[in-house]
Amino acid sequence: MLNQGDEARIERLPGEFRERRPAWQVLTSEKYIKWFLVIPLLVVLGVFAFYPLFYCLYMSFHEAILIRPPEFLGLDNYRKILHNRLFWNSVGRSASTVVVCVGIEITLGLGIALFLNREFRGQNIVRGLCLLPLMVSPLAMSLMWKYFLEPQFGIVNVMLSWIGFSQVAFLSESGVALYTIMFMEIWKWLPFSIFVFLAALRGLPKDAFEAARVDGASPWFTFKKLTLPMLKPFMMIVILLRVMWLIRLSDPLFGTTQGGAGTEVLDWYIYRIAFIRFDIGEGTTLALIALLMTIIIGAVLFRQLIKALGAAR
Amino acid sequence: MRRVIFWIGVAIILFVFIFPIAWIFVTSFKGRTDIMVPTRLLFVPTLENYVYEFWKMPLLKEMKNSAIVSVISTIFVMAVSLPAGYSFARFNTGEGHLLFFTLTTRMFPPVVAAIPFFFLFRDLGLLDTHLGLILLYLYFNMSFATFLLYGFFREIPEELEHAAMVDGYGRLSIFRKIIFPLIVPGAAITAVFCLIFAWNEFFFGYIFTRTVARTVSFGLISHWGSVVVQWGPMAVGVIFAILPTLIAGWFMQRFIVRGLSFGAIKG
Repeated sequence: MLNQGDEARIERLPGEFRERRPAWQVLTSEKYIKWFLVIPLLVVLGVFAFYPLFYCLYMSFHEAILIRPPEFLGLDNYRKILHNRLFWNSVGRSASTVVVCVGIEITLGLGIALFLNREFRGQNIVRGLCLLPLMVSPLAMSLMWKYFLEPQFGIVNVMLSWIGFSQVAFLSESGVALYTIMFMEIWKWLPFSIFVFLAALRGLPKDAFEAARVDGASPWFTFKKLTLPMLKPFMMIVILLRVMWLIRLSDPLFGTTQGGAGTEVLDWYIYRIAFIRFDIGEGTTLALIALLMTIIIGAVLFRQLIKALGAAR
Repeated sequence: MRRVIFWIGVAIILFVFIFPIAWIFVTSFKGRTDIMVPTRLLFVPTLENYVYEFWKMPLLKEMKNSAIVSVISTIFVMAVSLPAGYSFARFNTGEGHLLFFTLTTRMFPPVVAAIPFFFLFRDLGLLDTHLGLILLYLYFNMSFATFLLYGFFREIPEELEHAAMVDGYGRLSIFRKIIFPLIVPGAAITAVFCLIFAWNEFFFGYIFTRTVARTVSFGLISHWGSVVVQWGPMAVGVIFAILPTLIAGWFMQRFIVRGLSFGAIKG
């Protein structure tokens, strides 16, 4: 079998006889092919990742409202934002959305996965149907639920009135609206955690559980000491991905509350400053702060994931 | 007895996930007054909402726009991500740092990209054009596609390539003749995911289009006027916005979890 060094030597041999090779051959040669293949990616990254980043960095040091030429401000934008209560409120709302949604999705998802973890007739159909909410676009999802949750004739309120509850303005009462948004998110994403855990449960080693059963371990003990630790990496994957997506929550708000009724989460706040107030300086600064927060949280969770993967091995 | 309890549980789960989707289908056939009475199960079905959506509203055009933008951007994404994913999988290009950086572009608040691109596109005349949206969706889907393809490429045994190299194939012809046929299923799955994500995308479509290139999602939100909400037509819009992805999802069900978890879970 060839190893890296051999390949390089074979490649070099004909080169010693020829002085110069055409550019195409050089690029596709053993040495450069790996970089040649990522050129398109690097171009796209250069344009679409670096340009916005540097634009935001530049603008964040300026006062730029509407189309007036930007004026240098130094760190004023950052100072203003970090002392702004509205900003911290929106961060708080995002944080509570993340905690509530991820918490419920993990526990309920694991519960339902344990419940469904058996062979039964029609399991593929049930599985396929349960996956459908994942395919619904976030905006369409929010509009659907807006109709069901309508205060006067929404079906949920009609059903509530049957059992004697009074109408609830699910999407316009502050204190309720944010929980309604959370509920919609959970409805859409619960299947994801269910099926991640189902896949994980199917892949568990059978003999360990057999041994536990032979030793007379109770089901609860087996679950706590065997199942849970083995599921931990999968839990971390769900947590990592869902936290990343929930921080970026904004689509369902466009169809429902538009940031009103106490639902102004972090990304909606950025959107409002940048695209409704058109304060580009503050908007870009906010975007950068939000990006930094996301990367820090992402890195911490990624560490935990790697650790969980290492421990599971 | 335990079987009965099990099936009751399955029924409840199915009800929660499927009823809302089914109900919006039913609602789309309801007339103006029946819509205000959600519990009325016996009603005269009408196509007035469909007629309104397709003749008075630009739903057909919006669907065409969404389709064009999704398909072309997916082709672009594959052109970028296939070679890159192969390079990452086979040569570990950039020792994982480049791959990780590619992944972090997904963490950007869309607003980070939207502000600078709004002004750039305005100066270049790309606002409200298909090309502008295609480029944005290329950026939007690229990191995901690269990562998923990276996982698929890693499943192809390296020995195949060594064997081909002994036979005197160059790197490019190995990629063309040996790797490509093997990656087709994985690439197809990745492409369908890119199509779904592009079709479902809302924010960029909302900011960067107005009339010419406006997408299905943009059309949906326009039913929500300041005076009245047109519930019936909106239900029709929702159906045509979600139908393509639901159908795709049904046929892809074995791969959905894998795709959404960036290939981390082989469900």
